[in-house]
Amino acid sequence: MIPLQYELLLSAMLLCIGLYGVLARRNGIIVLMSIEIILNASILNFVAFSSYSGDASGQVFALLGIAVAAAEAAVGLAVFLSIYQTHGTIELDKVRFLKW
Amino acid sequence: MIAYEWVVWFILLLPLGAFLVIGLVGRRLPEGGGTIAVGAMTGSFVLSMYVFIQVLQQGGLGGGFIPQTIPGYVWIPSLLPETSIKISLLIDNLSSLMLVLVSFLCLLIFVYSLGYMHEEDGKARYYAEVSLFATGMLGTVSADNFLQLLIFWEIMGLCSYLLIGFWYSKPEAAAAAKKAFLVTRVGDVLFLVGVLVIWNVFGTLSFSEIQGKMASLYPNTLTPQLLTLIPLLLFGGAVGKSAQFPLHAWLPDAMEGPTTVSALIHAATMVKAGVYLTARAFIFLVPLSSAIQPPFTAILVIAAIGGFTTLFAATMAVVNFDIKRVLAFSTISQLAYMFLGLGAGAYTMATEVSRGEAVDSAGYSAALYHLFNHAFFKALLFLGAGSVIHAVHTNDMREMGGLSKPLPITSKAMLFGGLALAGILPFSGFFSKGEILSVTFDAGAANPGFYWLWALGVGTAFLTAFYTFRLWFMTFHGEYRGHDHPHESPRVMTAPLIILAGFTLASGLLAYPMGGFGNLIFSGAPAAGLPLVGIPVQDYLLEGVSMGVAVLGLALAWAVYATKRIPAERFTASRGGAFIHRMLTKRYWIDDAYDAFGRTVVYDAARALDWFDRKVIDGIVNGVGRGGVVVAGGSDQFDRRVIDGAVNAVSLETVRTSLRLRQRQTGQVQSYAWVVVLGIVVVIALVFGLSFLQRWLGGLGR
Repeated sequence: MIPLQYELLLSAMLLCIGLYGVLARRNGIIVLMSIEIILNASILNFVAFSSYSGDASGQVFALLGIAVAAAEAAVGLAVFLSIYQTHGTIELDKVRFLKW
Repeated sequence: MIAYEWVVWFILLLPLGAFLVIGLVGRRLPEGGGTIAVGAMTGSFVLSMYVFIQVLQQGGLGGGFIPQTIPGYVWIPSLLPETSIKISLLIDNLSSLMLVLVSFLCLLIFVYSLGYMHEEDGKARYYAEVSLFATGMLGTVSADNFLQLLIFWEIMGLCSYLLIGFWYSKPEAAAAAKKAFLVTRVGDVLFLVGVLVIWNVFGTLSFSEIQGKMASLYPNTLTPQLLTLIPLLLFGGAVGKSAQFPLHAWLPDAMEGPTTVSALIHAATMVKAGVYLTARAFIFLVPLSSAIQPPFTAILVIAAIGGFTTLFAATMAVVNFDIKRVLAFSTISQLAYMFLGLGAGAYTMATEVSRGEAVDSAGYSAALYHLFNHAFFKALLFLGAGSVIHAVHTNDMREMGGLSKPLPITSKAMLFGGLALAGILPFSGFFSKGEILSVTFDAGAANPGFYWLWALGVGTAFLTAFYTFRLWFMTFHGEYRGHDHPHESPRVMTAPLIILAGFTLASGLLAYPMGGFGNLIFSGAPAAGLPLVGIPVQDYLLEGVSMGVAVLGLALAWAVYATKRIPAERFTASRGGAFIHRMLTKRYWIDDAYDAFGRTVVYDAARALDWFDRKVIDGIVNGVGRGGVVVAGGSDQFDRRVIDGAVNAVSLETVRTSLRLRQRQTGQVQSYAWVVVLGIVVVIALVFGLSFLQRWLGGLGR
């Protein structure tokens, strides 16, 4: 059995990688992928605490989270596709038309 | 009970309707709607005769007729039914006779007007106003309460103003109309106050209800002072309307109106209303119960004013050359006779009541008998004078003379009227005037003052005969002194004269079939006493005296103005005579005094009030206005600066803040993400920091 600390450490690392991707990368697809990584980091936490405490409800939440992540990825990809069709780019520093 | 009592209303409504119709469309009708006025008046007369005959049939002679109130409608309702003010008509012996008298004389005068006013402009106005005038008088004599009487009384006041000023473009006529209105107003105000006092004391204005409440209210609510005050206030109204001293000044000037109007005012309406009102005031003067002390002071005032005015007015008639003014002064004098008779009669009756004896209302009957007779012969004299004026186009008797040849009917009719006015047997004036004088003499037994009033009355009888025949001789006797070609008036004018001439005989002699006028018109109990029959020998003597002085006056007029055996200049030859003549032609300077009073006191008071109004009242009003402007200005500034400033400042700051804040919305999704991450870091730091702090503090505490 893997100790809880390692799992939490892995989760924290994933979160950091995801945050870096969201904040630093300009490509919209990469940002979307990074958001998936952050989500998976939290889902890993659910699973880790579930096995640690022997309670199955964490795994239920994990499955719900995966379903939400899939839906979110679908919506996000559709949005970026639409942006690409109208503006010809998905570089986030160029997509700045939602402002005053 | 009057059968079909609702027809009584039509006595009033017919002339009122005529007034409305003529007033609205009279100008387009032939004769200015005169025929409608005559027709309406005929209807009124027929209905009045119907009512009067019913009264007679139901024992009007001898007091068998029970006075009947014909209910109309409730004008001012009240919670208590007995205090609501109703408009209803009273039919008793007096009012039914007055209705006949008024409607008959108005009818004759209207018919005469068809001829007299034929060539005038504004006939429609004339007929509309005389119709309303007749309505006013008919309403006055049939009113069931004092308020209703006052309303119709004021209608007459208005009409007298309008008709005296009929030729309003003439300054004298306009001034006379104003004078008549203002002088009678003084009396009307007193009357109004009297009505209010009656209302306050009795809580009702109806004649019969007042009489019924009298005994129960005396002497607590109805104090003896109030009992004196009320008839005096009512008499004040009568003094104004009937032109008694000191409010007599309007009547001679009222001659500026058409002669028919003078006849209307003097014979049938207006001035007679005052006598009628005083007769109705007998319910106060002569209480029915001996427990009530009669107001002797008020009675004496009425009799004294009557006695004084009768001689006072007669003296002024002696020197006047205006044919109508002589008759006007004679009206004042004759009305004063009526007040003298009412006063003397009331004094005798009041004395008898307070002694608990049977009441003899001879004075009341005599005064109203004189009113009845005077109405006929004064209408005759005025209409005759109108006929003369119509023929010679002047009022001045110095430009007349010898008119009996061209005006045979008029001259004979006026001779009849003159004989009646002078009181020569068997003309009507003799009976009533003689009765008044003998009643006055009899009242002397109760109060010697009445002997003096009797002496004044006898002196007046002499002067009356003198000035009447001075008028007649100057007009119809001798040579014509004018420059016209007089000819007799048309039929429509002479016919009323002939009818009225007949009545100068008939109205006096009618007392015989009636069993004495006191059998029909009385206060309290009927007094069946024929004139000159069944009365004490002393009264024969008194009536003889009154006729004797009248004959003397007539003889003097004959000597001075017909045969010229005594030249008129002899009276003014001495200095005293000249002074008296001057004083009389100036009407005792009373009119001048009133004018001066008006010019100085009233005008100055008005000016002072005007000043007060402009400076003080207007000043206060303007000050309040200006204060309002200042306060409003301050409030406006506060509103603009403070309230608006606050609102504007809030909105401006909101705009400025938002302008700055919206620059933070860059559209850069990753910068938002940075904010989110930083927020998370801060939250985590706070959570950790707080839990660490808690633990550290807890460690310290342990």
